[in-house]
Amino acid sequence: MSSSVVKRVALLAGSIVMLLYVLAPVAWLLSSSLQREADITAIPPHWIPHPPTLSSFKAIVAASSGTASDDGNAAFVPSTAQYLLPALRNSLVVAAAVVLLNLLVSVPAAYAMAKIRYIGRDLSVYFMLATRVIPDIALVVPFFLFVRKLGLLDSVGALIITYLAITVPFSVFMLLSYFESLPDELDKAARVDGCSRIQALLKVFLPLAVPSLVAVIMFTFLTSWNEFLFALMFTQTAASQTVPIIVASFTSDFTTSFSFINAAGVVAIVPPVIIAVVFERYIVSGLTAGAVKG
Amino acid sequence: MSVHAVGRRWLARHSVAPSDQRSAMLLLTPMLLVLFAVAVFPVLYSFWTSLFDIHLTRMNSVSFVGLGNYVQTFRDPIFWAAVERTAWFTVVSVLAIMVIATLMALMLNQEFRGRRILSTALLIPWAIPYVVDGLMWKWIYDSGYGALNGLLLQLGVIGQYMVWLGDTHKTLALISNAFVWKEVPLATILLLVTMKSIPSDLYAAARVDGANLWSRFVHVTLPAMRPGFMLVMIYEAMMAVRHFDLFFILTEGGPADASHVLSWHIYVETFRNLSFGTGAAVAYVLALATFAMSYAIIRLLGKRL
Amino acid sequence: MAQIEFQQVGKRYANGHVALDNLNLQIRDKEFLVLLGPSGCGKSTTLNMIAGLEEVTQGSLRFDGVEVNGLPAHRRDVAMVFQSYALYPHKNVYDNIAFGLRMRKYPQPEIDARVRAAARSLEIEHLLERRPGQLSGGQRQRVALGRAMVRQPAVFLMDEPLSNLDAALRVSMRASIKALHQSMQTTFVYVTHDQAEALTLADRIVVMRQGVVQQIGSPDDIYERPANKFVANFLGSPPINFIDGVLMQGERGLNFVRGDLSLALDDETRRLLAGCSGRAVSAGIRAEDVDEHGDSTDCSLTGDITSLLPVGSDQFIGLQCLGQSMFFRVGKERSCKVGERVTLSINRRRLHLFDQASGVNLKVRNA
Repeated sequence: MSSSVVKRVALLAGSIVMLLYVLAPVAWLLSSSLQREADITAIPPHWIPHPPTLSSFKAIVAASSGTASDDGNAAFVPSTAQYLLPALRNSLVVAAAVVLLNLLVSVPAAYAMAKIRYIGRDLSVYFMLATRVIPDIALVVPFFLFVRKLGLLDSVGALIITYLAITVPFSVFMLLSYFESLPDELDKAARVDGCSRIQALLKVFLPLAVPSLVAVIMFTFLTSWNEFLFALMFTQTAASQTVPIIVASFTSDFTTSFSFINAAGVVAIVPPVIIAVVFERYIVSGLTAGAVKG
Repeated sequence: MSVHAVGRRWLARHSVAPSDQRSAMLLLTPMLLVLFAVAVFPVLYSFWTSLFDIHLTRMNSVSFVGLGNYVQTFRDPIFWAAVERTAWFTVVSVLAIMVIATLMALMLNQEFRGRRILSTALLIPWAIPYVVDGLMWKWIYDSGYGALNGLLLQLGVIGQYMVWLGDTHKTLALISNAFVWKEVPLATILLLVTMKSIPSDLYAAARVDGANLWSRFVHVTLPAMRPGFMLVMIYEAMMAVRHFDLFFILTEGGPADASHVLSWHIYVETFRNLSFGTGAAVAYVLALATFAMSYAIIRLLGKRL
Repeated sequence: MAQIEFQQVGKRYANGHVALDNLNLQIRDKEFLVLLGPSGCGKSTTLNMIAGLEEVTQGSLRFDGVEVNGLPAHRRDVAMVFQSYALYPHKNVYDNIAFGLRMRKYPQPEIDARVRAAARSLEIEHLLERRPGQLSGGQRQRVALGRAMVRQPAVFLMDEPLSNLDAALRVSMRASIKALHQSMQTTFVYVTHDQAEALTLADRIVVMRQGVVQQIGSPDDIYERPANKFVANFLGSPPINFIDGVLMQGERGLNFVRGDLSLALDDETRRLLAGCSGRAVSAGIRAEDVDEHGDSTDCSLTGDITSLLPVGSDQFIGLQCLGQSMFFRVGKERSCKVGERVTLSINRRRLHLFDQASGVNLKVRNA
């Protein structure tokens, strides 16, 4: 029937447009990182790398090890380039720590809120959500003074604690709605079978909550990796600076070559994009309460 | 009567088992510790700071001014200019996000080959940090060598390269574009999830009643999605109002204050002018505005339909 | 020993809703007790209190004389079968059944022996490796039973376990549960809203309504001598027919009168209700307590047949009489037609009389 053909064509056209919208900027980023400076500063620029070159990436590696890079591109490499790989390490450490601590803190709290009737339950849910209503900007000053007093300025510790506070409410919220979707009778059966509340959580609910746990890990990792404002405030040297900070420092350096910046950008997005793509189906189930059969 | 007995009576009256209360408190303690130490304390301290005249350069002559910082803020024309820019940015961004995300969600709601590729690709803008997003668009917008210029030139739309970010009339719109591009995936997913929960029976019934595609959208999809719309709108509006990263990376509030929005204003006041008191005051005004805005959206969308 | 006693137990929620009001009940060791009533009557609350899943807000709950009010569920020796079975989806059948024993640290050989014995008796041995998601409703139900059985608990609780099964399965499972009770020799407490189920299974029935006990007794007691209108109406299918009227002294004794209708009561009833002349009452006639061949004309009903439903060896007659629809059950010998006017004579010894205001069964009260 012609209407279904029309529909198919429309969908095809629509998906192409959508795909272009979503991917074109990133594709250009990638393409720019694989070309020589001269090619991408042509007018109009060369869209496809021809030939592709890894010189910008090599420059990044070279800068981190302190040696001058081969190409003669040294003049175009920003002074902070040497900190990019250490920053990768910092970002990884922070993200991993935050994910771990987040799970330890959020899972028990979410279970209690979902399945136990206790005094102060509604209050604890509202309180938890309310901590995220104030914009981060408002929290920077007290955080700064607090962290400085503790002597934690310029350390990954400060970032870990801060990111923990930022990510816990959303994690609890996601886990909470997932736990709520699990039947109450499972909890009752476990308790009659001899589990204390905590044992019921560990032996029955945790195994069933895997999709939601994966989603929490993913969101927490991405938030920690991508966070900028607090990292800007709390970090001063390469000892604790994370990837977003180093990359940002490139853009303000006017002598930097564009291909180098783009290469740095690509390096910065590889971990989050990999995680997002690999765990794609957990995002949707994490955002909504999953259905459990049986 | 002992405290113990009073406590037990209170628990009993709310029909809460003492062992349950104990377990719950135990399970909640880590979260409460983290949030109290790291979220509540700064919030309260920040408010406290806003009541004082505090400058980082003269920390030993701090004086209490009560609501003085707030008054000063409301009298400051720069503040109001920032408010106006923030409002424009928020409204335009949220509108764009809602329209694009709805279209994408409608499409993804259909079954077709390659849909999986599409929904996976959709995640990439969401996954990248705002810093890289800013960097990427800055490169695209570059007035000397940017891809936007190059593309438009090749397509014959412009005769020569133009200034984009540097043009004060275009600055906010371009930043908004970078913001929208990165926010659309999450909005799409949230809307898609809501759409999927609409029972297909409703569409079947509408078809039998003779509704065409547009009517089905207006009479079945839209009403069922009202709470979803509201949620996404509120969330994105909140994100837009407080957004900071792109303003730092792309324009640093410029050029000539064209992108000097509220979040940038707070940053400047606090970290460049080093006036902690007024900075905190503006931050709190922003927080209150966020509350008010969410409330307004709820009331607005709650009354319609 | 598993004697359970409720002493003035109440359950009130923070919003003021009263789920249980002054429950006094003694459950005997080894008996099969059924808690029966419509939804919201408090039967599940009562069951959950025994399990330790709900908190007792007033009064005292005792096991063998020892108060257990604050004792959490995992420290009580009860097992429970849930309406939705509540099987652990991520464990296979064997692990589901073994879970309770493992939590209580039984030695592995004994666990294995018990699990297999239970599986054998429930005929699910071939399913031990499967997951709940791969089983049918009836199979899941048996796994749930197995999980409770292996614990060999002091008390066996069941919360509407058959309501999710189809009709034929339900009837055969009832027999299995009754047999289980015989072989386990344990106290069973069973919750249901299905009165037929209660009548078949119970040693004693507790009829409840909105948190208040209406009557406690054997199935026979409850059916033959209902304490009030609610109990009379709740048990029996089709439901009992009520006619409102007045007790009046006639020539030969007390009669039930409604307009032109006068039903002569039997001697025993007249004796019991001697002082009740002039009282407003509701007469209750069960569907099976009429006879269309009967000859007593001073205790009979005449009306128009509105519907006819053959049921096995009988037929259900819908009768329009005194402005009401009533349903009766008679034999199939006489062929009736819709629209026909018939007279049914009532078995006066089985005529119930309830006080119109309070609903109390006057014959039982005065006995």
